[in-house]
Amino acid sequence: MDSKEVTVLKKALARQIKARKQAESILEEKSKELYDTTRHLKEANNRLEDILAEKVNELDGIFVNLIDPYVVMDMTGNIIKMNAAAKEFLCADISVEKINLNSFVHKDYVEYTYNSFKSLVEVGTIKNYRAKLVITEGIEKYVEINASLIFNNNHEPIGAQGVIRDINQETEIKQLLGEQRKQLDIIVQNSPLGIVLVQNKNIIKVNNTFINLLGYTEAELKTMSIHDVSAAEDPEQRESLFQKLENGEIDNFSIIYKYFKKDGGFILGKTAISIVRNQNGSIDYKVGMIEDITHEIEAEKQLQDSENRLSKLIANLHTGILVEDQNRKITLTNKMFHDIFSVNISPEKLKGFDCVKAIKKTKSLFKNPEAEIERANAIVENKKLVLSDEIEMADGRILERDFIPIFSENKYTGHLWTYTDVTISRNYKQNLESEKEKYRSIIANMNLGLVEVDTNEIVQTVNQSFTKMSGIPEEEIIGKKATDIIKIVNEDIVTSKLASRLNGKSDSYEIDVIDAKGNLKHWLISGAPKYDVTGKVIGSLGIHLDITEQKTFQNQKEQLVQELEKSNQGLQEYAHIVSHDLKSPLRSINALCSWLNEDYTDVLDEAGKYNLKMMQEKVEAMDNLIDGILKYSTINNDTIVNSSVDVNEVITEITDIIFIPEHVKIIVTNKLPTIFADRTKIHQLIQNFLSNAVVHIEKEKGLVEIGCEETPTHWVFSIKDNGVGIPKEYHEKIFKIFQSVGNKERSTGIGLSIVKKIIDLYEGKVWLESEIGVGTTFFFSLKK
Amino acid sequence: MKGVVFTEFLEMVESKFGLEVVDTIIENSNLPSEGIYTSVGTYNFNEMVSLITNLSDEVKAPMGDLIYAFGLYLFDGLGKSHPEVIQNYTNPIDLLYAIEDHIHVHVKKLYPDAELPSFKILDKTDTSISMIYTSSRGLYRLAHGLIEKTFEHFNGTAIINYELIKEDGTEVKFDILQNG
Repeated sequence: MDSKEVTVLKKALARQIKARKQAESILEEKSKELYDTTRHLKEANNRLEDILAEKVNELDGIFVNLIDPYVVMDMTGNIIKMNAAAKEFLCADISVEKINLNSFVHKDYVEYTYNSFKSLVEVGTIKNYRAKLVITEGIEKYVEINASLIFNNNHEPIGAQGVIRDINQETEIKQLLGEQRKQLDIIVQNSPLGIVLVQNKNIIKVNNTFINLLGYTEAELKTMSIHDVSAAEDPEQRESLFQKLENGEIDNFSIIYKYFKKDGGFILGKTAISIVRNQNGSIDYKVGMIEDITHEIEAEKQLQDSENRLSKLIANLHTGILVEDQNRKITLTNKMFHDIFSVNISPEKLKGFDCVKAIKKTKSLFKNPEAEIERANAIVENKKLVLSDEIEMADGRILERDFIPIFSENKYTGHLWTYTDVTISRNYKQNLESEKEKYRSIIANMNLGLVEVDTNEIVQTVNQSFTKMSGIPEEEIIGKKATDIIKIVNEDIVTSKLASRLNGKSDSYEIDVIDAKGNLKHWLISGAPKYDVTGKVIGSLGIHLDITEQKTFQNQKEQLVQELEKSNQGLQEYAHIVSHDLKSPLRSINALCSWLNEDYTDVLDEAGKYNLKMMQEKVEAMDNLIDGILKYSTINNDTIVNSSVDVNEVITEITDIIFIPEHVKIIVTNKLPTIFADRTKIHQLIQNFLSNAVVHIEKEKGLVEIGCEETPTHWVFSIKDNGVGIPKEYHEKIFKIFQSVGNKERSTGIGLSIVKKIIDLYEGKVWLESEIGVGTTFFFSLKK
Repeated sequence: MKGVVFTEFLEMVESKFGLEVVDTIIENSNLPSEGIYTSVGTYNFNEMVSLITNLSDEVKAPMGDLIYAFGLYLFDGLGKSHPEVIQNYTNPIDLLYAIEDHIHVHVKKLYPDAELPSFKILDKTDTSISMIYTSSRGLYRLAHGLIEKTFEHFNGTAIINYELIKEDGTEVKFDILQNG
């Protein structure tokens, strides 16, 4: 072992020894610590025991000092221990006398007490024993006792301890509660809300308000089900809410019910329904509190209606509406506004739009965009009412704009713009002006005199023509009374006519006036009342036409007609006289010729006899001619006597009396009508046609056909023959007097002119179709 | 730091490197305790740091490996002085699982002032366990050695992976999978 190793070992050994000593000293220290700890623990134990003892004493003290009376008794009821409260409560002290608790029990509670004590012994404790104690004579107290048994070390009961609670106060509280309930009843009865208590849908209790609301008596209501008098406005909502009630999710809710009154009406009631649950949580009662909201709902509905009307009104207004809020955001626009500014977005979507931006976007619509924007901004800035501002649009429209600031409680909250397109009325005004100008010049230049007077006949205006007509200058007429200025011959007419204007009458009349030159003039006046805008007569308007010339002509014409009538009369009489006077010499000549022929028949040679015969024939023709003239001259309106005439009968009469050659036959092609006319004239008419027809037939078999057709206004008769026919050039001539075709002796040339005259009387026409050698058809029409 | 750690450490140095090295590192470390340690005493942790640093210089080996080797050695030392603790367990995983809640509680009974690392169990099966080592000392390699030796004690081996949650080694996650 070298010395170095030895040194190292020595050092290590030294360290080990030191380490051991260190360890020993640490252990000694630990031992002492341990000893100290043990001693400390012992002391602590002693202290704890002392504390425990104290605590036990304290606990005893607690019972003694308990606020509630505390007693300990033995198994026979004798009090062993009692605290101060017990002494006070029972007015007794065991340190003075022996007390048995049983002596306090009121006689009514003896049996109950006995049973309670038995159960105490059996169970070990008793709770809520309630009895009345008689403390001394006259003082009775209600008590509640909770007690438990006390056992000895062998677990045998040796007594009981109990705490007595004075429940006199509770009893008082009960009474108080009773009083409060009465107060509550008063409140319920007088509540402005109808209150109803319902059990299983049966009405159990109602208050006065409920009775007054429905009009049933309380007795009636108590026999009814709640469903007899009420129904939910929204049955589904009611169902779901009641479901929640049943499930216990909610205890009350509010819903609107309809209540049926005894008189058949109903009310709407906002009903708060609460439930009273029993201990199991199921529903015992339902309480309904009803507020009559019939009027509120009605008012609300009316408000809603009027709001709807208002919004509809605004929507359909013929004025564009734009409402902005104080930040110039759009809150309302209507359809017209959108139309005016060609906005394609719906009014709903435009809400909230910034107007400052909107006006810039649409500025091309304005004729002077910059000026308009500036003007609009200035108006908004001012917040003052601006009316009838005019805006010219780029497309020529003119808008009238109003600005109305809106203040709510003196605070500016926005403004209303209204826009009206006044282009048409503007143009209309212009048109009106030019129309007025046109009529003014017409009135000034027309050939009619115009005078306007007020209700006092004071002349308001006249036109140029009138001044010419009257010869009085305008300035002399205006403002004067018309009848004073113009010399009217029959002034009373004018006065009465002007008076009738006041009644709104308008008519025409003639007056005679003396003009400025003294000439008599006839004026035709058309007068009409003049009204103001309210429809009140404010005067009269007269249009004057100078009819002096016409009047003169008319007078001349009337004279001529009179003269003509006279000469016609004379002529007729003349024709009559002439024909009569002419006829008698003719008859004489005829008679003389006959006599001559008879008396000198032996003397006369054949030539003489022929000449005589010819003479007689000429006389006869002369006679016929005179007859015709007579007939012709007697045809006029005066002699007509109209009646129902069956034309078929007339035809039969005629065919019976006229001469019809053997070879000619007359047939009627269809049934002829019965017409209203003069029988003689119709006879005369048809006889003329028929006699003409039958004599001019040279064919072997002659045929005359009579027919009739009806037009809306006339009967059209036709008489067709298959005679010789009438040359074209005679078709008109034949209806003129003394004209006849051919030279047959019997034809006077008067017949068809008589026909024409009769047809004229019946406002008809006569015409013919004819072909030479084939036949002729005459047509004539008579007015129905 | 408990004196037992110092006495065991110096015993290991003596057995592995000889008494001379023990003397040298004590001399070089200039210790307030002058290298005199008893297992029932308590000493400043810095003395352990000085001793390990000097040992590392003396034997030219990394400090981590030395601490790990100490861990392996310490297990046997502790096992010899408190065999009843290890006898409570039948397998290494159960022992590791009980370090915090059981073994450390016993340590505290004997040395109420001991400053012990904490082992928080994250996951445990019959053959694996993962836990987080937390200690202001940062001696996770010591723990590594102890764990390895635990398996060896029960005649087993394990794959032990560790991951530094904090770079200074004060918080390290161990994932241990028992072989076989």
